[in-house]
Amino acid sequence: MSSISTEAKVGLFVLAALIILAYMSFRVGEYGFGLKKGYLVNVVFDDATGLEKDASVQIAGVEVGRVEDISLKDGKALVTLRILPSVELEKDVEAKIKSYGILGDKYVDIVPGTKDGTYITAGGDITRTGQQADIDKLLSELGIIAGDVMKITSSLKNVLGSAEGEANLKAIVENTRSITENLNRVVTQNDEKLNLMITNLGEASAEMRNAFAALNNIVERIDSGEGTIGQLVENRDVFDNLNQTLASIRDITDKINKGEGTIGKLVNDEDTVDNLNASLKSLEKSMDGIERYVSKSEQFKTFLSYRGEYLFDGGDGKGYFDLTIRPKEDKFYVLGLVADPRGSRTVTDTTVGATPTTRTETWERDELLFTAQIGKRFKDIALRGGIFESTGGVGIDYFAFDDRLQVTFEAFDFDSDRNAHLKTYAEYRLLKHIYLSAGWDDFISNEGRESPFIGFSIKFEDEDLKYLLGSVPIPK
Amino acid sequence: MNKIAATIDNFGRAILDNIEEMGRILILFLSVLMWMVRPPLKLRLIFRQMEFVGVKSIFVVVLTGTFTGMVMALQGYYGFKMFNAESLVGSTVALGMTRELGPVLTALMVTARAGSAMAAELGTMRVTEQIDALYVMATNPVKHLIVPRVIAGVVMLPLLTVVADFMGILGGYFVGVPILGINSGAFVNNITKMVDLGDIYHGLTKAAFFGLILSVVGCHKGFNTTGGAEGVGRATTEAVVLASVSILISDYFLTAIMF
Repeated sequence: MSSISTEAKVGLFVLAALIILAYMSFRVGEYGFGLKKGYLVNVVFDDATGLEKDASVQIAGVEVGRVEDISLKDGKALVTLRILPSVELEKDVEAKIKSYGILGDKYVDIVPGTKDGTYITAGGDITRTGQQADIDKLLSELGIIAGDVMKITSSLKNVLGSAEGEANLKAIVENTRSITENLNRVVTQNDEKLNLMITNLGEASAEMRNAFAALNNIVERIDSGEGTIGQLVENRDVFDNLNQTLASIRDITDKINKGEGTIGKLVNDEDTVDNLNASLKSLEKSMDGIERYVSKSEQFKTFLSYRGEYLFDGGDGKGYFDLTIRPKEDKFYVLGLVADPRGSRTVTDTTVGATPTTRTETWERDELLFTAQIGKRFKDIALRGGIFESTGGVGIDYFAFDDRLQVTFEAFDFDSDRNAHLKTYAEYRLLKHIYLSAGWDDFISNEGRESPFIGFSIKFEDEDLKYLLGSVPIPK
Repeated sequence: MNKIAATIDNFGRAILDNIEEMGRILILFLSVLMWMVRPPLKLRLIFRQMEFVGVKSIFVVVLTGTFTGMVMALQGYYGFKMFNAESLVGSTVALGMTRELGPVLTALMVTARAGSAMAAELGTMRVTEQIDALYVMATNPVKHLIVPRVIAGVVMLPLLTVVADFMGILGGYFVGVPILGINSGAFVNNITKMVDLGDIYHGLTKAAFFGLILSVVGCHKGFNTTGGAEGVGRATTEAVVLASVSILISDYFLTAIMF
């Protein structure tokens, strides 16, 4: 340390401090030294409120200069800008006073112009200026607007705010909706009709004009005695002829009235009338009866049938006794009894305390099951529905070889606990009333009840039964 | 009655003493100005005082500036965080340092370090009759002893302030960017955007005034010391107190005039 002289120490210190000062000045001043070389440009603003000397001049947010001076000129603000020499301004640039945010400092923003090679020279003017929306102006205008809005809302509130107003509004809206809906429906539905109507009306009015003209013409012609009607109207002879004819007709009817001649007698004799009446009535009755019996005897048929089935797996027999009523060719009713060896099933659910439900199934033998079905036949196919063995079900029959072979499929006893009872079989007419059948009963059973079977049946048409039923009024 | 009269007497005398002292300081200042422009200037003496006032104060000024900047950044951060404007911490530190804290704190530190030393030195010379010896040697003690000190104070204070400003901003940057996580670009840009050259130069002007005040007050207190070793101690204390108070009071008026 002793080797460094006092002067050197002071000199070093002063130098260091000056370097730091220069550095800080350069950083802070930014263009502090270079800007003085920049050129001056004048711009006149209507209002330069808040703009200060040395405020920034920017293009697209990049500082290109500073505000050199602000003075008054003809009641407007003459702002002199010092622009960096490296920046050229086109002739039609636009200068605006803007601010950083709402509360920030003001600066001059320059919007670049068209690049046509002409630039503002030193001491020139920027002629286009714009004004940024002033925050004070904005706030005062906002205040006015808010006042207006408040007036509107308060009056609206008076009108609509009450319960009555609300209800009215609701009613109006609903009415409007229903009206427009109706209108829409009417218009869309009757679009074509309306069009047609309008065209028709147009045509009709044209036609009517023609018709009236023609009518006029006809009436004129009748008036002048032209044509048949004209002659009829005008000619005396025709009228006389007509009179004579009417007179002779009156003569004839007079004679009939008096009982003269055959017709007269017939007409005037009371007995004849009674006889005629009686015979007509009896004829009517007999015709009725004939008609009904003939039609019924033609269409109405009743069949009785018994079928026995032997179930191989169950080792049991099943008996069917059916009465089939067929009022029409394509319609039939089946009523019947079924003797099932397993009888009917009774399900009992018992719940003891908190233990789960116990389901008990009991099969009661020797109980008859019922069949009541309604069916309809379409050519070779007949569909049946109703009660099958005391449960609901459907069935389909297919007939072949002039009804000698019948293939049947039935599905019934639908229960959520077990599979439905499906049954299919074929029946063949061996002799006139004797049929043989074979099939598979309950073939998707999950209770082990599926079983193939063969069967034998007798089926015949019962005429007496038919007449017995025939006298009962059955709709045709 | 006598007591009241005595109290009023004392009060009046105190005022008169103060005014008299202000007058003496002014006279000393004027004579310093007069001797300053009168050649030959003793450059060697000036450099020695510059070394003492300036170079030897660097350490304490650097320390003061750095920690002041750091604590400003820390305090400012919590304030600006409420507005999500943390990046303004940099400009706050920079503005505060350059405009106010740099000059004032530097002046106070130099007053404590060098101003007190001046008073003690001159006071000792006064009580040991060395100053009288200078008169005997036909050497003006104001020119020989006081002018170099005042020049050193006026010149060195701004330079020390530059160091304090810079170190303060550096300290603020160190706390703000790596520790508090403020974006460094925003931090620096806000400094350059918000701080004007004027802020720095006005601060330096103030610092020069403070240098003048502390050196003149220090010299005056030492030059007019009476009462032996005890008087030297009293003079030193009074010099520091008066200089510090004067610096703070004048700071207000200087700021009001300049900004």
